[in-house]
Amino acid sequence: MAIFPTVFLPLLLLTSVLHCATADSDDLVTELLSLQSQSKSGIIHLDDRLISRFLTSAKPPRPYSLLIFFDAEQFHSKPELHLQDLYTQYSLVSSSFIANNDVSAASSLFFCAIEFKESQKSFSLFGVNSLPHIRLVGPNVKNLQDSEVMDQGDFSRMAESMSEFVESRTKLNVGPIHRPPTVSKNQIAFLVVIVLIWVRFFIKNVATKDTILHDWRVWLLGAVFVYFFSVSGGMFNIIRKMPLFLVDRNDPSKLVFFHQGSGMQLGGEGFAVGFLYTTVGLLLGVVTHVLVRVNNRSAQQVVMGVALVVSFWAVKKVVSLDNWKTGYGVHAFWPTSWR
Amino acid sequence: MADGESSREATARTLRNAFGNVFSFFILLLIGILAFSIRLFSVIKYESVIHEFDPYFNYRVTQFLTKNGIYDFWNWFDDRTWYPLGRVIGGTVYPGLTLTAGTLWWLLNSLNIPLSVETVCVFTAPIFSAFASWATYLLTKEVKGTGAGLTAAVLLAMVPSYISRSVAGSYDNEAVAIFALIFTFYLYIKTLNTGSLFYATLNALAYFYMVCSWGGYTFIINLIPMHVLLCIVTGRYSSRLYIAYAPLVVLGTLLAALVPVVGFNAVMTSEHFASFLVFIIIHVVALVYHVKGNLSPRMFKVAVTLVVSVGLVVCCAMIAVLIALVASSPTKGWSGRSLSLLDPTYASKYIPIIASVSEHQPPTWPSYFMDINVLAFLVPAGIIACFLPLSDASSFVVLYIVTAVYFSGVMVRLMLVFAPAACIMSGIALSEAFNVLTRSIKFQLPGSSGISQSGDTSMNTEGEQNDIAKTEKMDETAKERPSKKNKRKEKEPVVKASIRSRIERRLLVLPLEASVIAIILLVLLGAFYVKVACKVDAALNVHASTLEKSSRVGRWKLVHCVWAAAEAYSAPSIVLTTYSREGGLHVFDDFREAYAWLSHNTEVDDKVASWWDYGYQTTAMANRTVIVDNNTWNNTHIATVGTAMSSPEKAAWEIFNSLDVKYVLVVFGGLVGYPSDDINKFLWMVRIGGGVFPHIKEPDYLRDGQYRIDSQATPTMLNCLMYKLSYYRFVETDGKAFDRVRQTEIGKKYFKLTHFEEVFTTHHWMVRIYKLKPPKNRIRGKTKKSKSKASSTSSPKRSGTGKRNPWH
Repeated sequence: MAIFPTVFLPLLLLTSVLHCATADSDDLVTELLSLQSQSKSGIIHLDDRLISRFLTSAKPPRPYSLLIFFDAEQFHSKPELHLQDLYTQYSLVSSSFIANNDVSAASSLFFCAIEFKESQKSFSLFGVNSLPHIRLVGPNVKNLQDSEVMDQGDFSRMAESMSEFVESRTKLNVGPIHRPPTVSKNQIAFLVVIVLIWVRFFIKNVATKDTILHDWRVWLLGAVFVYFFSVSGGMFNIIRKMPLFLVDRNDPSKLVFFHQGSGMQLGGEGFAVGFLYTTVGLLLGVVTHVLVRVNNRSAQQVVMGVALVVSFWAVKKVVSLDNWKTGYGVHAFWPTSWR
Repeated sequence: MADGESSREATARTLRNAFGNVFSFFILLLIGILAFSIRLFSVIKYESVIHEFDPYFNYRVTQFLTKNGIYDFWNWFDDRTWYPLGRVIGGTVYPGLTLTAGTLWWLLNSLNIPLSVETVCVFTAPIFSAFASWATYLLTKEVKGTGAGLTAAVLLAMVPSYISRSVAGSYDNEAVAIFALIFTFYLYIKTLNTGSLFYATLNALAYFYMVCSWGGYTFIINLIPMHVLLCIVTGRYSSRLYIAYAPLVVLGTLLAALVPVVGFNAVMTSEHFASFLVFIIIHVVALVYHVKGNLSPRMFKVAVTLVVSVGLVVCCAMIAVLIALVASSPTKGWSGRSLSLLDPTYASKYIPIIASVSEHQPPTWPSYFMDINVLAFLVPAGIIACFLPLSDASSFVVLYIVTAVYFSGVMVRLMLVFAPAACIMSGIALSEAFNVLTRSIKFQLPGSSGISQSGDTSMNTEGEQNDIAKTEKMDETAKERPSKKNKRKEKEPVVKASIRSRIERRLLVLPLEASVIAIILLVLLGAFYVKVACKVDAALNVHASTLEKSSRVGRWKLVHCVWAAAEAYSAPSIVLTTYSREGGLHVFDDFREAYAWLSHNTEVDDKVASWWDYGYQTTAMANRTVIVDNNTWNNTHIATVGTAMSSPEKAAWEIFNSLDVKYVLVVFGGLVGYPSDDINKFLWMVRIGGGVFPHIKEPDYLRDGQYRIDSQATPTMLNCLMYKLSYYRFVETDGKAFDRVRQTEIGKKYFKLTHFEEVFTTHHWMVRIYKLKPPKNRIRGKTKKSKSKASSTSSPKRSGTGKRNPWH
């Protein structure tokens, strides 16, 4: 009699433990799935407790891998980190992954995010000390610090490169990234209707020569504005994503508006000089075309005086700024006999 | 002046007009001479050589043309470049420049003036800039009259941006294209003003010449339709507009399709679709106007609804077809360069080879000051003048400047298209300003009859002050006038114009003293401009060479050289000079030295590999086959060379060997501080190589995102071929291996080459040529022999005793 239980008990225990283990991991997966379904983009918000539950206390091999985005709200204000941009890209990858793959099947990759303020312990657990930081914890990772880091190059090209990283490391297929269209379908339909209605009136107005387009002042303003925008290097600011000004590194209370060296400019600097360029021309135009028609002689004198002083100052300023910025100066060569 | 009878005044006026015409003719002649001679500084300072990279190719093509005739040129297959692919030259070049210079040469020779092809090529650009300034005169005259025309012409003759592309020796497409561009615009405006079919035909021919000369013709074929559309929308449609536009599209497109390099692109690519769309619209509008003229108002209303609805349906159908056509092609029918104009961030994202070229970068505000100088201040005044009153012609000029200034904001290179517009606008502004100001002075001077009328509104309030002030002012004006006459002849017609307009606008004057000051300031501004223009003499800088990290391409200095502002532009890439502190002139002729070495010491069929910047020069000057050149039509091929340069020696040897390369040429500026060398361009080689061959990764060459070649550099960087070929034996020069461009000591100083051997290094180490070693285990003896030969050729270089330049 005694044999029976003695043989059986360990077996029973073993099976129950085994069962427990698989049930446990199944539970974990279902829990992860439910967490995933709670958020819109499918990103699971982790904290210290969940980390320990899903990673530290769950023994490898785990039936899932986690991709973790390390976030810190306090750094959202720092534009050079691009944390928020990266987070939106990350959520795009996540939602595309969920949309392209059958989630309920054991696809076993979950997108997670973790916030610095709530879970400082986990940050130290992973040894993360700089942001932005994305890590992939594979099923077999024992020590969390050994998990794979997505390096700078992999999130430089936004969502596509992130998904390439995931595909190369997990052998899972992320599929094409579904970006939300910038305008939704309803909006497009609405816009089309508006445009159609407007076109009707527009053609009628054009026929009767009665639109804003027939007012030459609008064209004049537009032309001058385009000129101002271009000569101030506005396209440079857009293409290179230049900020309007920088904060002085040595003295954070000081703002730097002008950058020395001709290869680069700051936004504010460009617009300031563009403004000087344009002002002189506008003053000259006003003097030659508008002021001439003014009958009041003293007004003429005052305006012209102001225009002359301002123009002189502006030209001088631009010349000196140019000299300072590029180092190119113009000076006369006097004949040697004059010296 | 004003006290004669009416008949006497009439004869005086005709005399004055005749005098004025003769006078403006001579002024134009002088402007032409000025435009030509201001561009000769490069010949005076250096010598009569062809500059830069692309011009060498054009020169080579012209030589071929003059030697073999036009038919052979048309069918020319060049096996000296893009080995092993070769290149069809006749079908891939814009033949305008070559044909122009070839015709010029043929003409001169048939007149028994025996000039060499090179001389003709060198002076083509200055000649055409004289033509361009005359064309500017014609165009501006159509818009705002003779005075503005002359002012604009003189400004264009000296505008720095244009000078830098058209100095003697810069034998490039732009040299003739700018003339063609302005002349086409002039003929369009002329047709628009006269409605004459004769000018319309000429316009199509001018457009054809432009298509022959430069890819920038797409600017014309988009700008003119835009203007037509603008005219229609603002209710300025007229039969003149129709005559100006319709023949241009039909004839122009047919003619454009004759140019092999354009061919069916003239009807197939999106760049041209705007013109066809507007062509349809103008016909619909013309029909509407025609019907309107023939019907009673009531009938017309019925007809309008009919036509508008039918027209809309047709338009929608056409647009749908167009969109479907466009959408079916991968780039949406646009070429990469045009796309990067519409979406400025396009190139930097997708096409590194376009983004890598320094002239495709967006300019900053100093670039505008550098390129059009004080004209930047005058343009807005010109825009205002064009709106008062707005005519068809002036609206065209406004549209021209607005589009050109936007495009120039996207790409530095298009500053060249913007510069003529800026000159026209500034010419108008200056002319109007002088008109008003000189008039104010003229009629308010004591003793002039105009004073009583002009001053009457304010005399009682300010009479006393004026009396006191007047004597001084008179002195100033007296001083001012003759000096102006001597200095700036082009201002004369403005004075004349004011005389003419005196009768109808007598009361429109400004205060005397302020006018005087204003004139002085304007003349000062003009003097500044002239001064700058004279500085921009041998101007050759940012031209189709790969971008460097931060240093300007044009700026280059020796440690011991005085850095003078005038030198900013004078960095021709073939011959370089600097002034030492004592005032001595130092000439760096390394490039020609190297090319001459190649042509004298290598076999005719040897292949030379270098980065694409030097391809044209190698084929033209050394007459050797190259792997890639400045015509960057095959990205993969360029990427192959880039990969070889970024690979370790063995891998690079294998790549080069598979391409039958015998020699590798690198440009190295570390010894003398020449910043546009291959090490500075190297990141682009990595980038372009990595774009096709993913095993080359940019981060491998960067330490913490920084490009460096000192001891902190990554092992990949220190082991790549470019590093090794550049810095091989560099330590032997000064013992420390200090790189004067990067301002640092290099990371790896002592190393040996296993698969390459140095065969030639120029006097200043600027060009280094290496030979691929034959595979080791085959013929040992031969390797040794060539090695000893190599050391004997390179050792005198090292000691710097200076071998004579074999070129001469």
